[in-house]
Amino acid sequence: MPQHRFTFRAMAAQHEIVVDALDAVAAGNAAQAAIADVARIEAKYSRYRDDSVTTAINRAAGTAAPVAIDGETAALLRYAAQCHALSDGAFDLTSGVLRRAWDFRRVPPALPAPAAVDALRELIGWTEVEWDDGAIRLPRAGMEIDFGGIGKEYAADRAATILESHGIRHALVNLGGDVRTVGAQHDGTPWRVGIVHPRAPGNVIGSLELAGAAVATSGDYERFIEVDGRRYCHLLDARTGWPVDHWQSASVVAPVCTLAGTLATLAMLRADGDAFLRGQGFRFLLVDKKGRLVT
Amino acid sequence: MPAADPRGAALLAAALALPGVVSPAHAQTAPDQGVIGLRYFDYRDWQPGAERMTVRSPSLYLLKPLSDSLSVEGSVVYDAMSGASPLYFNTLSGASGLGITDYRTAGDAKLTKYFDRWAIGVGGAYSGERDYKSRSLNVDVRTWTADKNRTYAFGIAGTKDDINSATGVAEGRHKETYDFLVGVTQNLNAGALIQSNLTYSDGRGYYDDPYKLFDRRPGTRHVLAWLTRYNQYVARFDATLRLSYRFISDSWHADSHTLEAAWVQPLPYQLVLTPGLRYISQDHAFFFHGPPLGNGLVAGQPYSADPRLASFGGITPSLHLAKQFPDGWSADVGMSFYRQRGSWHIGGNDTPGLLDFSARWYELGVQKTF
Repeated sequence: MPQHRFTFRAMAAQHEIVVDALDAVAAGNAAQAAIADVARIEAKYSRYRDDSVTTAINRAAGTAAPVAIDGETAALLRYAAQCHALSDGAFDLTSGVLRRAWDFRRVPPALPAPAAVDALRELIGWTEVEWDDGAIRLPRAGMEIDFGGIGKEYAADRAATILESHGIRHALVNLGGDVRTVGAQHDGTPWRVGIVHPRAPGNVIGSLELAGAAVATSGDYERFIEVDGRRYCHLLDARTGWPVDHWQSASVVAPVCTLAGTLATLAMLRADGDAFLRGQGFRFLLVDKKGRLVT
Repeated sequence: MPAADPRGAALLAAALALPGVVSPAHAQTAPDQGVIGLRYFDYRDWQPGAERMTVRSPSLYLLKPLSDSLSVEGSVVYDAMSGASPLYFNTLSGASGLGITDYRTAGDAKLTKYFDRWAIGVGGAYSGERDYKSRSLNVDVRTWTADKNRTYAFGIAGTKDDINSATGVAEGRHKETYDFLVGVTQNLNAGALIQSNLTYSDGRGYYDDPYKLFDRRPGTRHVLAWLTRYNQYVARFDATLRLSYRFISDSWHADSHTLEAAWVQPLPYQLVLTPGLRYISQDHAFFFHGPPLGNGLVAGQPYSADPRLASFGGITPSLHLAKQFPDGWSADVGMSFYRQRGSWHIGGNDTPGLLDFSARWYELGVQKTF
């Protein structure tokens, strides 16, 4: 059975959908539908888009009127609330404001002043956000929500479901490293996913096999600066405002990608990430500070 | 990680391939004009079903006479390499997606002093990537007969590489390579020129690719290369035929033959068009094993599945166009395609299952003499 590969760009990254199907046209139609939904989610939740739901919510921060939201957004907020509770506050949908102090593109790289970070931490507080199934309000001006931590994984899950609804039984969706599969490959063998080596581009440090499950990878190499020989990556602990450095990367297997992504991020935020994942019963591949594999 | 070929030998060969050196009549006096050039090189390779690697590299070249008999030249290049390599996997999962971009900065400089019947050049080069640093020094001496019809060349280079996947498998590893070159260039009658160079490269140290799942290579590598070039001016077309043959004998048994032909055709409007064709046939390294990964792995023995060490044949057709403008300006553009197949190897396909490999690159350059 032929394997069709569709690559496309969205959310400033490269993605691909792989489909095992006899009918190339059907595969193409299914993939196009899935890609269209990814684009829809990007347009709806991207903080870079002027007309997105996220921008509308953030613009109204500190004003009296709540912003109306639909069922999809409410579901994402419910999920974010669970992440916040499960991580004891380390994962916080309102922590995106820290971006204003941490500039990973500045040359030469420089650490933010602790006072700047502390000032921004005043604006972080998921528990203060007023929301329900129909509306949301950020109580203080300057507060922000950012779906960046769950949007891509959510889109991957939706894309896989759309492929299934088009009759596809063997497929793989990879959105910027977040993978969700539909079944195994057509011959019954699992999909082989290589895990990118955190310190070597395009090379692989390990692999995982998936048949219907998902894997997401979080790492300290996506965006970082190095100051005085120490790496400060973009994964910030919402409670301190500073980056974590327990692991170089974390890849977690879960039934859905949204969960895999959250678990990967949570593992990165915890020094005992491996024990945490083992305790929860999920397959994982962690790379520790010294570059050693922990499974 | 850089390519497997020895860098020092490549540097020496490049030094002798610089414009003006191939034809001895020009090389014997110090250049009286400076040259500054900007180049852009764009490379992409792929295998069936997947794109692999792209390299984009702008570079700057400068040649400046310092006096009647002394010249300095140097170049700086900045490579941005990116791409995924899903050779054995259906896809890759990483924090930044399907691949990351790695950057390499490299520079080299050389000082050449010219005397009546000989010249000596001393140069150095540096290349740095996140995990791989390379430094080299080279010295070359050229001497020629009184009638300038024959030139002898001798060269020595030493390269030291530091491999430091600081938190990875290879920490503080090194590799040292020494390269030696002897060569002769002879002007023949009727517009023909022949050049033959013998280079020997002796390397020891860390050759493994620390980022591949299974990869352990011998700690030494000796390479003997013999390159012969023949250029013939063809008066009827006012063109030059360039032929070359290179034979490489390698202690890893990845011996190869490379045949190259090009036709340099001047055209009206100060244009020069050069179509070319190259064929290479390489034997596989003795420790290379084809897919599936891990096939033939024996504990304690060297092993690699790197396709660059496989047995294959490769063909590169190319086309290059150059134009001269007034006031010492010139520009050129070149395009090459590469296709590699196990079955194109002389003596048959020794690596069944090796995926076909294709690549294309183009380059643009602008140059000014001053």
